[in-house]
Amino acid sequence: MRTTLLLQITTEEICRLSNINIDTMVEIVEHGIIQPKGGDNLKHQPDSWLFDPELIGTAKKAIRLHRDLDIDWAGIALAIELLDELDTLRNENLVLKRCLDHLSND
Amino acid sequence: MKFKDYYKILGVEPNSELKTIKTAYRKLARKYHPDVSEAKEAEEKFKEVAEAYAVLKDKKKRAEYDEIRQYGRHGQQFTPPPGWQSAHNGAGQSGFTYSSSDFSGSDMSDFFESLFGQSRGRQRPPYENNFAQRGQDVEIEMPVFLEDTLKQETKTVAYEMPHYDVNGQPLTSIKKNLQVKIPKGVEDNARIRVKGQGAPGIGEAPSGDLYLHIRLVPHPFFNVEGHNLNITVPIAPWEAALGTQVLVPTLSGKIKLSIPKNSQSGQRLRIKGRGLPSKIKQGDLFASLKIVMPPTASQTNSEIIALWKKMSESIDFDPRSVWSKAS
Repeated sequence: MRTTLLLQITTEEICRLSNINIDTMVEIVEHGIIQPKGGDNLKHQPDSWLFDPELIGTAKKAIRLHRDLDIDWAGIALAIELLDELDTLRNENLVLKRCLDHLSND
Repeated sequence: MKFKDYYKILGVEPNSELKTIKTAYRKLARKYHPDVSEAKEAEEKFKEVAEAYAVLKDKKKRAEYDEIRQYGRHGQQFTPPPGWQSAHNGAGQSGFTYSSSDFSGSDMSDFFESLFGQSRGRQRPPYENNFAQRGQDVEIEMPVFLEDTLKQETKTVAYEMPHYDVNGQPLTSIKKNLQVKIPKGVEDNARIRVKGQGAPGIGEAPSGDLYLHIRLVPHPFFNVEGHNLNITVPIAPWEAALGTQVLVPTLSGKIKLSIPKNSQSGQRLRIKGRGLPSKIKQGDLFASLKIVMPPTASQTNSEIIALWKKMSESIDFDPRSVWSKAS
């Protein structure tokens, strides 16, 4: 069977894969919730943007939060940033706890 | 089928105003939203809360529900009274926007379905476009051992996915076995997309995708720090003093590590290239030294006690000198 590992996907593809229309996608990108690859991409037209496929998950999450919790896009940008930070801290905490375990008991 | 008291679920009085209901919903939705909450039952709770709100925010549905509520009590078995039929057919058009494409499993309880009719697979939030009939994406957790990240591995995954007919009616879910390749150097929390291996689309539409959510399994010896690994190496006090060679496990067999003389507890030695592989570079293995004392039995031997005594008399060492400097 096949495994498809794509390096980047187009705006049309990310819209289709996350079930979002183009206007909403532009809104999400303009709020910095997800970013197209490369440097100053926002000066280009949306149809020339390219995305990391990992961002499909983030886009979907943004849509769910917008729909279910009635949060505006700026709030979602903040929420996702904080959730990511929380995730990083939780992981770090876990690693440190394990290190501590290894150092203190045998 | 169990009766659901939607007022109880939202924690509001049956005569509450819409505003109160909305606030209660928002609070609970924030608390249990699966993207926000870590609680295990969060998704179930959230669906319950969303379902309650979907009914109570809608004037017509709420009136119908209030009528039926006289016949049931929360958590008890319930059958709609004979002849009862919802005035709402096609509940999907009424603006309820809980999409079935995002969270796994069925969205509305049997209780809801029996009161307000078939809802699955029909409703689409306004921002979802014409492609919405494409099959659901399926995400499964994929535990991966650290050893398995060293080279590309082929694994068999077994999963189940929902299936709908052209009218959005649920069919028996499909069981699938699939061989997937886990790329070398895969990272914790990565999601691998396997194109077209999700649930089949409705009608002519394409299938959804399968996402493998990679979780690295914690290793008994190694801690992961980015692409580097850490291992604690216990050594005896004399090994630290005199230096030695020890065999250290790595993900690909044991290697000989030289401990220099005069080593300290907590000192880290780098073993190049023995960490995890990644796209950018090969990680390293760090060995943290930990000086351990021999078990007490060996220290009751008078010869050994004499040795320690001799050491304490001949070595000028105050391990707590930091404290005396500070005071």
